[in-house]
Amino acid sequence: MKKGHWGLIVLAAILMVSFTVSPALFAYEKRDGKKIIVYGERQPAPNIDPSQFYDWSTRMLQQALYDALLKYVGNPPRLIPWLAKSWKKSADGKKWTFELVRNAKFHNGDPVTAHAVKWSFERTLALKKGPAWMLLDFLDKDGIRVIDDYTIEFSLKAPYAAFEMAIPWWYIMNPKVVLANEKAGDMGQEWMKDHSAGSGPFRQKRWEHGVLYELEAVEDYWKGWENPKHVNGVIYKIIRESSSLRMGLEKGELDVVAGLNSEDFDAVAKNPNIYVTNDPGWTTFGIKMNTQKGYTKDINIRKAICYAFDYPSMIKIYNGNAILEDSPFPKGMKGYIPVPNVYRQDMKKAKEYLAKAGYPNGGFELEYVYVQGLEEERQIGLVLLDNLAQLGIKLKMVPLVWPNMVARASKVETSPDLMAVFTTPIMNDPDVVAIQYHKDSWGKYYGSHFYQNEKVWDLIQKARFTADWNVRKSLYEQIQVMIMEDAPEIFGMLYNRRWAFRKHLQGFVFSPMRLTSEIDLYPLYIQD
Amino acid sequence: MGLSMKRFFVKRLVLMGITLFGLSVVVFSISRIAPGDPARLAAGPDATEEMVEVIRKEFGLDRPLIVQYGLYMKGLLKGDFGRSIRTRHQVWEDIKNYLPATFELVFVSISFATLFGILFGVLSAVYRDRWIDHLIRFFSVTGVAVPMFWLGIMLQLLFSAKLHWLPLGGRLDTMIPPPTPLTRFFLIDSLLSGNWVVLKNGLVHIFLPAFVLSFPALASITRINRAEMLEVLHKDFVLNERAHGLPNRVILFKYALKNALIPTLTMIGLRYGWMLGGTILVETVFDWPGIGYYAVAAAVYSDFQPVMAVTILLGLNFMIANLLVDIGYGYLDPRVRYE
Repeated sequence: MKKGHWGLIVLAAILMVSFTVSPALFAYEKRDGKKIIVYGERQPAPNIDPSQFYDWSTRMLQQALYDALLKYVGNPPRLIPWLAKSWKKSADGKKWTFELVRNAKFHNGDPVTAHAVKWSFERTLALKKGPAWMLLDFLDKDGIRVIDDYTIEFSLKAPYAAFEMAIPWWYIMNPKVVLANEKAGDMGQEWMKDHSAGSGPFRQKRWEHGVLYELEAVEDYWKGWENPKHVNGVIYKIIRESSSLRMGLEKGELDVVAGLNSEDFDAVAKNPNIYVTNDPGWTTFGIKMNTQKGYTKDINIRKAICYAFDYPSMIKIYNGNAILEDSPFPKGMKGYIPVPNVYRQDMKKAKEYLAKAGYPNGGFELEYVYVQGLEEERQIGLVLLDNLAQLGIKLKMVPLVWPNMVARASKVETSPDLMAVFTTPIMNDPDVVAIQYHKDSWGKYYGSHFYQNEKVWDLIQKARFTADWNVRKSLYEQIQVMIMEDAPEIFGMLYNRRWAFRKHLQGFVFSPMRLTSEIDLYPLYIQD
Repeated sequence: MGLSMKRFFVKRLVLMGITLFGLSVVVFSISRIAPGDPARLAAGPDATEEMVEVIRKEFGLDRPLIVQYGLYMKGLLKGDFGRSIRTRHQVWEDIKNYLPATFELVFVSISFATLFGILFGVLSAVYRDRWIDHLIRFFSVTGVAVPMFWLGIMLQLLFSAKLHWLPLGGRLDTMIPPPTPLTRFFLIDSLLSGNWVVLKNGLVHIFLPAFVLSFPALASITRINRAEMLEVLHKDFVLNERAHGLPNRVILFKYALKNALIPTLTMIGLRYGWMLGGTILVETVFDWPGIGYYAVAAAVYSDFQPVMAVTILLGLNFMIANLLVDIGYGYLDPRVRYE
């Protein structure tokens, strides 16, 4: 028996060794001489239909597979012509005309014409999904006119200054391809979830849901490539654990990763084969207060809370990779100003405001709702708990899953006293942030403050429909100051967006207009 | 016996049908009572009221609950699990994509746990209180106590990050496309199509996740089999067989083990059911594209259809496992033959 036992161990050892993989630390992947990079992140992209979805992973693939009339690049974000070679608006801001490039073609060789542009906009408007909300109030089918094969005109129902800022989100699809795959009048929705009909720099190669999505560079891309060493392919691979992402990068199985925790980013930055980027993003973190119900209805209590909070602690929680907000608008956004007299910790003032509210010694409890499992939000809550305890206010920490938070924020009666919220603006126009403080945002998660100030609302409306930027600019200055004064939330911080790259992968261009971990794949190249 | 077997089967099938119906009602009710507004979530954070309505209508969420349930059951009877509100995928397509990965992992794990669990149990009992018994008992206690998540990451660190012996995760290397889908079990498909590269790669990839998943089951199967073996080995009939000079091997494996296997079989059946429900942790650590992760991702977004489909399928699977265990009893012990 003993003999047999040892035999078993030897057999197992032989099996183990024979099944092991080679320990070579390879760089990028190669297939038929083509250089393919692998990007590891958590979030899948189950549906890439540009008329239906635009979360960050989806949008990254869409930006690779499709083109839009305009494109956002750089930091601060600039709007550059893409399928359109030029564009102009009428003096009243209602009529927008785009002239298209002549040489753009879809992946099947069809030319990209004004008809395709018209059809694509109509499709998104008709389906009323995905990015449709950006233009539904301003544009309808009849407002889109093909002037000639390469000129298109949009007539808006009302002047909308931010119209051009929405354009990069509206990708142009090949109507012939989509309609050929239409089923029961669905405008190709079923087919488009994992197929594409674009003209972008990449086409689809392997599509394995839940595992990876492979893109192949279109070598004769109509716009050409900026760098002759551009990547020939990209595999977007779904890796769920921060530890796996880190190990994969260090082993060389992954060429770029995002979504590591702060410690892991700092650790991999020390590896000589890896570099880490660190750029201030536009995702704001704030703790929204219900301004219409409970204790936080009283502006004095809200101000007391704003003065009690220890702001720099948030920077510590992010290991120094964040900056404090000093306006409701993210720093760097068009129209942003640093608001004078922002709230910073001042316990004396906090006590004064609390006394003004009639609660000099506190003696009440507030609820702090945050996303279950989101460690940073929990830690920030603990800081606030400590701060408020000094005022005699108890803080009840309530972790919830996201759907339940959204549900609670949808009604003023259920919206929490304090709710931790991240928001990312998706256009470089102050309107998209200002609107969060308008009545139109009540019921949405970022409107959980149910903020009410008719003067501010009027200014927001006015700024939205004004064509002259100089006039708008001064309106937004007033708006920022007034919102801050009303303290509908603890204006928190903007955390840095970070990626870790293997050294050979170059060309990354950060833009705050790309969402969360989204990378523009077009400029990437390989430096051996 | 033929007749009683038939009756037994019919009875069990009817019971299974009733249980499944009950399960569907419970799952449906829980999903609809849960707070949250799936249409709003699915429409996106900036969607207007009108856009939320479009989604609500498209997915029939504007209709009375009883009608929704009726339509759901009608679809279910036709094998239609509906569509995911979050991804707009046909749930059945997703299940076909993710379930085989989980089954493959679970089959390898349970086979591993059964084979070695029984072997270790026997060894441990035969060499009671010797070093081999201590070693096996140490492992079986650890197996129950160690969290799978932690074990997975530790083994990854050792075998993948440090030694570079085994891959980090996934079913295959990034650059190796899956074999032609026949059963969608990569190991079987690659074997059938004679694709040795994929077979080898698949085996390398399944080794760690299957080992980690099998660990708690291996431990409990070992423990229960050891205890049963010890008890059986002290029975009079074993003494009698020894007195008759039967070889040790025959006594152990033909008579003692067969008697000890009944409780072990129950444990295997139970563990199999738990494994299927509990693959999520292993699937997360090893990026195994299976049903556990799929269901959790859907649940987090109040995406009901996939959650209901997975629950019903796993429930059905548990019932089938129980049925097989019962049949196994009958085979091992004629006294419990389906009265």
